[in-house]
Amino acid sequence: MRPTHLFILLWSLFATASFAQDKFTLSGVLTDGESGETLIGATVYVPQIGEGTTTNEYGFYSISLPANQPFQVEFSYIGFQNTTREINLSADQKMDIGLGEGLELQEVVVKANSYQEQLRSTEMSVEQISTKEVKTLPSVLGETDILKVIQLKPGIPSGGEGTTGLYVRGGGQDQNLIVLDEAVVYNPNHLFGFFSTFNTDAVKDLKLYKGGFPPQYGGRLSSVIDVKLKEGNNKRFSGAGGLGIISSRLTLEGPIEKDKSSFIVSGRRTYFDLITRQVNKANEDVEDNQPIPDYYFYDLNTKINFKLGEKDHLYLSGYFGRDQFGFDNENFNFGFNWGNVTSTARWNHQFNPKLFSNTTVTFSDYRYKISNEIVGFSFNLDSKIRDVNLKTDFYQNLNSKNTLRYGASVTYHEFTVGRLKAGSDDGEISFSGGNEYDGIEYGLYISDDWEASPRLKVNGGLRLSGFSNDGTFYYGLEPRVAANYKVTNSFSLKGSYARMNQYVHLVSNSGLSLPTDVWYPSTKLVEPQTSDQVAVGGSSLFKLFGTELFLTNEYFYKLLDKQIDFIDGAELFANDELEQEFVFGDGYAYGGEISLEKRTGDLTGWIGYTYSKIRRGNFFGPKGDVMEGRYFAPRYDRRHDISIVGMYKINERFRAGATWVYGSGDLSWLPSGRFTFQDVGGADFQAVVPSYGDRNTFRLPAFHRLDLNLIIKLGLKKKRKNPNRRWESDLTVSVINAYDRRNAFFIFLDVEFAERMDNDGNLIDLPTGVTAKQVSLFPILPALTYNFKF
Amino acid sequence: MKFQYIFPILFLISILAACNLTNDVEIDLPDYDRQPVLECYLEPGQPYQLLLTRSFGFFAPFDTSDGQFLENVLEQGATVVIKHDGKSIPLNEGLFFNPFSFKVFNYGTTEIVPEDFDNEFELEITLADGGTITSKTTIPVRVPIDSVVLEFESDAATDTLARALTYFTDPDPSVENRFRRQFHWNSLVDSSAQQDFLSTDQFADNGRIVFGTGFDYPVGDTIWNTVFNMNRDYADFYESVIISIQSNGNPFGQPASIDSNLDGTADALGIFTGLSYSREMTIIEK
Repeated sequence: MRPTHLFILLWSLFATASFAQDKFTLSGVLTDGESGETLIGATVYVPQIGEGTTTNEYGFYSISLPANQPFQVEFSYIGFQNTTREINLSADQKMDIGLGEGLELQEVVVKANSYQEQLRSTEMSVEQISTKEVKTLPSVLGETDILKVIQLKPGIPSGGEGTTGLYVRGGGQDQNLIVLDEAVVYNPNHLFGFFSTFNTDAVKDLKLYKGGFPPQYGGRLSSVIDVKLKEGNNKRFSGAGGLGIISSRLTLEGPIEKDKSSFIVSGRRTYFDLITRQVNKANEDVEDNQPIPDYYFYDLNTKINFKLGEKDHLYLSGYFGRDQFGFDNENFNFGFNWGNVTSTARWNHQFNPKLFSNTTVTFSDYRYKISNEIVGFSFNLDSKIRDVNLKTDFYQNLNSKNTLRYGASVTYHEFTVGRLKAGSDDGEISFSGGNEYDGIEYGLYISDDWEASPRLKVNGGLRLSGFSNDGTFYYGLEPRVAANYKVTNSFSLKGSYARMNQYVHLVSNSGLSLPTDVWYPSTKLVEPQTSDQVAVGGSSLFKLFGTELFLTNEYFYKLLDKQIDFIDGAELFANDELEQEFVFGDGYAYGGEISLEKRTGDLTGWIGYTYSKIRRGNFFGPKGDVMEGRYFAPRYDRRHDISIVGMYKINERFRAGATWVYGSGDLSWLPSGRFTFQDVGGADFQAVVPSYGDRNTFRLPAFHRLDLNLIIKLGLKKKRKNPNRRWESDLTVSVINAYDRRNAFFIFLDVEFAERMDNDGNLIDLPTGVTAKQVSLFPILPALTYNFKF
Repeated sequence: MKFQYIFPILFLISILAACNLTNDVEIDLPDYDRQPVLECYLEPGQPYQLLLTRSFGFFAPFDTSDGQFLENVLEQGATVVIKHDGKSIPLNEGLFFNPFSFKVFNYGTTEIVPEDFDNEFELEITLADGGTITSKTTIPVRVPIDSVVLEFESDAATDTLARALTYFTDPDPSVENRFRRQFHWNSLVDSSAQQDFLSTDQFADNGRIVFGTGFDYPVGDTIWNTVFNMNRDYADFYESVIISIQSNGNPFGQPASIDSNLDGTADALGIFTGLSYSREMTIIEK
């Protein structure tokens, strides 16, 4: 018998043996009572028997309880008033609950059971962030950004100041699976990584897995970032928006049919271009004026949902975002645009109180296009990746000890890599190039969340993944195991192991995100990347000076194989033989993370610390090697990383947020030597050509920065006079880099020249000295944003 | 400059220019062992000549006092021999100025490089410290410029600025060839090239390739168009030099080690290559 068959059979036998009829099931959906939004990860807890569960990502819960006994069942969610219901089950019962929102996030007393659920859960290496937290914390130029805030959590260092690139537990920025309403987002960046594509007003929830990946996720090695969009208020029409110094945004939502269907539309747009156009207009008569190119980006999120009955719910959502860069004059017409499109059709069906399914069809498209027209000639270059995905997931509350989850997915990928079309209008000159590929990625998984004893919970699962492309087929078994041992009511130990396979790869030669980075499939030469990660740790809930704190401490070790890098000087842009530039190697990363969190009271926040070490090496490819195969540290090998985050409610009018971050400097590849280069006739003599030795041997100075935020609520008097007044507004003042620290964005070596007289009496420029220069990105940077909602 | 870096750099420059966020810092670089550096371009019709210098640690002081600069840079006391077609050509140490290329060499001879596109040239150098440098190369065939076409935006008499379109034909569409394009305005030696970049025939559909300029060149001025047909080794070396220069100071760039085609015990950097180019001088007329 094949191991996979044995695995499934054992699971079925076990599940059948455990099934009992002396219990009934309470199930339903938890929602925000004011808006009807489903609540993800809300807690359902029965104190008398110490059992509980959480809602899944669709707000659904299902818990089996002994029959004909009265129980107090508590429903809770951070930021909402708890609700308690008395239940006495004589049959399966469906109970949808709408929780009342608390007046303020900080005012709500989060009951110990939400911590308790975290202590009980087998999930580890998970970070979650709410949009309320994001809005309370400082943001660059007033642009709240959920991806930047998640970087404040331990184990998720950013790619450097100002960027949204994520390097989770030693993984590369292409090793993050980023899904928006279950559709993959291939480039989560605007403006070369300074802002993310996620409009905070439209986002409901973000969850990031650093390890211990549940089997339903696959396709990337290092993290899963699962972003859910809001569904839209199905109780009343409402809106929110803001005016900032670089962009404005507006969100409208409301019921299509009250309590049954709703919509949400959310958009934002920057207005750099409106400013630069005015500057260009003012300078158009200035001699030798060089007009500033146009640049702007915009996002549009939409979603509608329909409750089709007691058991069915249909959701349709979409995202469209573009960055536009352009430059026009009478002889020259240049355009560069890039962006994502995603759409999701999702159907939730509840077969019975114990079985819930989610079926989705998603579409993802990321592309960039560069076009240029010069009198008589044109140039067009574009690349894209496009996916169509079908997947179905089942959640089965098998009994009070076992919750099964199983499903399958299939994704059709289409890749266009560097499609070039250029030439003269008369056809005499013609250039064309580029490659097109397609591939199909498969996934099949099963997992069981098994309560082995009152103290021990185990989540075991297996994912079978595969990829086919042009006659080449790869597959891999990906075992996933996570266990939680509750030592005491306030202390638990956790461990996990996860194997991941990655079948599509980002071709990026830069440490920073570029829109021209392209995705590339596994082929005969390019094998799938793999990783194995083991994590162990513990969580503890304790009181210090009367304050309840939650401590999490984890250690991880990750092995990476079939890693992709590039030979020195690789040409990755418009190259028909891209694979020849690749080198393949392996790597490892290890480290520890500690986080101390306070979620209650007027002052909330966390302190996080990460220690990590990352190495890559053994890189060889068709055209050569990297450092003769020796191991080296990637530029994001950051040894220490500290973040301190605080949110404080001063009074009804004022709320403050502050973050302080410290990190060992990133590594940089600086030249160690120099030589002169005479070159051939007709070319200039180069007095100094840098000579680079081993990669990334220089560490930039340590990075630290304090950011502050103050929210001033407006119109409180009017609100007091008229409590039913819906219009609320605030002014948000943020100061980035409050003590004006000049952090290194990069360092370069500058050569100074001076005029000297040669033997013939001519003045020539000769080098006289070298200085190292550091370039910083942000000085102290204040911003003001006006926000409103109604 | 690699094309994809242009846009982020434009954006960065505008931000950084506004904020003046550059300052001097003191850093320690890893230890560096000096290496010999060789440039030898075998051009048919020109004498055998090469430049042999030595690299420095990046922070090593520059001695620019009169006469000292060259002495500090040049590698002295080497024995240099180039072998071709069964014949050994020794190159003597000295200072040689080439009046055609306006370049200076420290090893040379009066013997002329033959127009031989078939047979290999071999280099053997023994340095004063006993280290050796060896290499082999050939001279690629010359690729003729088919035509240089001048165009004006309009026929109006007031329109006196032309652009130049330089056409040539891919010598062998079955393999990838690398070219270097230079464009000079008014002088070949007293001003920097207006254009100087690498190109390839990888994407040419019908074997015809064109390089163009903007409508920038006045009637009466002189322009020079040059197309080099490059050996693969030379193209790789030149590209790695350009990447190294451009990566210093470019946060989006990925540096590269110098891609030399030199062997031997001396761990030398540099290039030993045949040089082949076509050059057309054109006076702008309407």
